[in-house]
Amino acid sequence: MAEKNSTLRPVSIAIAVITVWLIVFLLSFPILEKIYSDPTQFLGNRMSIENFQFLFLSITFIVVGTLIAYIVYLLLTSKSRAALIAGESMKWLALSRDQFRRLYEGAPIPYLTLDAKGEIHNPNNAALRFFGVVPEEIEGKVLFSFRAEGEDERASRLMQFYNSGVALNREEIRMVTKSGEEKWVLLSVFDIKHPMDEKSVGLASLFDISDQKRLDQAKTQFLSLASHQLRAPIAAIKWLADMLLSGDIGELTEKQRDYMTRLGNVNRDMIDLVDTLLNVSRIEIGSLTVDIGPTNVQEVCRSIVLELGPQIEKKRLRIDERYNGLFENIQSDPKLLRIIIHNLISNAVKYTPDEGTVTITLVDSGGQKQITVSDTGYGIPAAEKDRIFTKLYRASNVRSLSSSQGTGLGLYLVQSLIETLGGSIDFVSEENKGSSFTLTLK
Amino acid sequence: MENKKKVLVVDDDDNLRMVLMDKLGASGFEVADAPNGEEGLKKALEWHPEVILLDVMMPKMNGWQMLNKVRTDAWGKTARVIMLTGLDDVTNVAHAVGKGVREYILKTNINLDELVKTVSAS
Repeated sequence: MAEKNSTLRPVSIAIAVITVWLIVFLLSFPILEKIYSDPTQFLGNRMSIENFQFLFLSITFIVVGTLIAYIVYLLLTSKSRAALIAGESMKWLALSRDQFRRLYEGAPIPYLTLDAKGEIHNPNNAALRFFGVVPEEIEGKVLFSFRAEGEDERASRLMQFYNSGVALNREEIRMVTKSGEEKWVLLSVFDIKHPMDEKSVGLASLFDISDQKRLDQAKTQFLSLASHQLRAPIAAIKWLADMLLSGDIGELTEKQRDYMTRLGNVNRDMIDLVDTLLNVSRIEIGSLTVDIGPTNVQEVCRSIVLELGPQIEKKRLRIDERYNGLFENIQSDPKLLRIIIHNLISNAVKYTPDEGTVTITLVDSGGQKQITVSDTGYGIPAAEKDRIFTKLYRASNVRSLSSSQGTGLGLYLVQSLIETLGGSIDFVSEENKGSSFTLTLK
Repeated sequence: MENKKKVLVVDDDDNLRMVLMDKLGASGFEVADAPNGEEGLKKALEWHPEVILLDVMMPKMNGWQMLNKVRTDAWGKTARVIMLTGLDDVTNVAHAVGKGVREYILKTNINLDELVKTVSAS
């Protein structure tokens, strides 16, 4: 297209120049006649009008002749020019093909092309390294024949997608190398069909995520082990104390009973701490899963208040439950929601002085489900308000309260969890007046 | 004589096993215990308890492996198994549901009286 334009341009310029020249030639007489009664006055007596016309025509012929000669020259040389341009283009094409090939061969990600049957062609160096093979050992083999044990179903499903022309985008599958090593890959295949190349119907990339998978598994295993190892001894303490308190193995004296109750309470704090630590770890390693189902928020709140009964009684707190008949059956994750509300109510109980009030309110504000936990407690110092959801933060005014064991993880956990559920948390607080936390559910 | 409900406690923690045995014994159950899945399986298949309290992480054979073997037995197909474990991650709970276990209890979330009530219920 560009070449066509470059031949056309001089021709059109020539035509334009000739046209303008002729117009000027034809118009010059009437104009001159208008200015001077005798046009020869303009030229002086030395030149007659015939001479002037002759001069004008001569110049015109010279200009037209030159332009025609130039056009003929252009027409005659255009073929060789085309050949020259084609030659240059070929060089560029060869260079870019070479660069592309080097990029393909040397790319750190395993690439290969697949034909219509899903057979492998053109594996790049990374692909050969990935499978631990030389080109002849892999050329023409079906990609999914390298699937690991137990991946038959998945491989055949992906093959179905491929056959029906659906692009595969980061599909997880386990593959096995020549030496028998199993690798986790993210497999992508996209269409590069071209009538001239039957061997390249799809371009496949295999992104090795084995290290990431192993790390994830190690983290999950560590968490399971930590859960088990931390909970076994505290469950034993809990049940041994229960056993002694129940009187099943002999009655305790008043003092012994008091000590055992204290032991049970301290252990309860320890259980909460372990639960929180495990949940925070789950959030941080991303192994937390959300399980949405029917949830009775009233029931969740009631059971938490019941569970915190001993602490509430001890501090002679008043619990004001305003459920307004709401949220008896909403869609949420009951387990996560319980952890969230438990943290808020238990904070309110912990950080409210004796004989204070904790209010739990459910409100449906124009379709937005809100759960508010307010207290008449110590409140949060104004200067620290923007830090309260930060991990390990503890308000300066409660750090010294010997009776309140906080970890600085609770509100961090609450915020992370409510965001995981697609909701949000907000609060208002005034020091020595109280705090009010509002959860808005999705 | 009244037919006592037979309860088998399978847990690798000695303290937990002891206190569970004492409490369940004192509550009128006939109890037996095993410190791992391997011994637990043997006892379960011989003794056919009405309830198995089963931990997950144990040496030799873990709770899931033991449960799989119990489920392949004619008696064990419908045996009542209560998972009593320190694991509360979704994967493990989902696993239990998949194995036909309807009762999954986090050890630190239940006190002994509640546990006795749960075991007594049929």
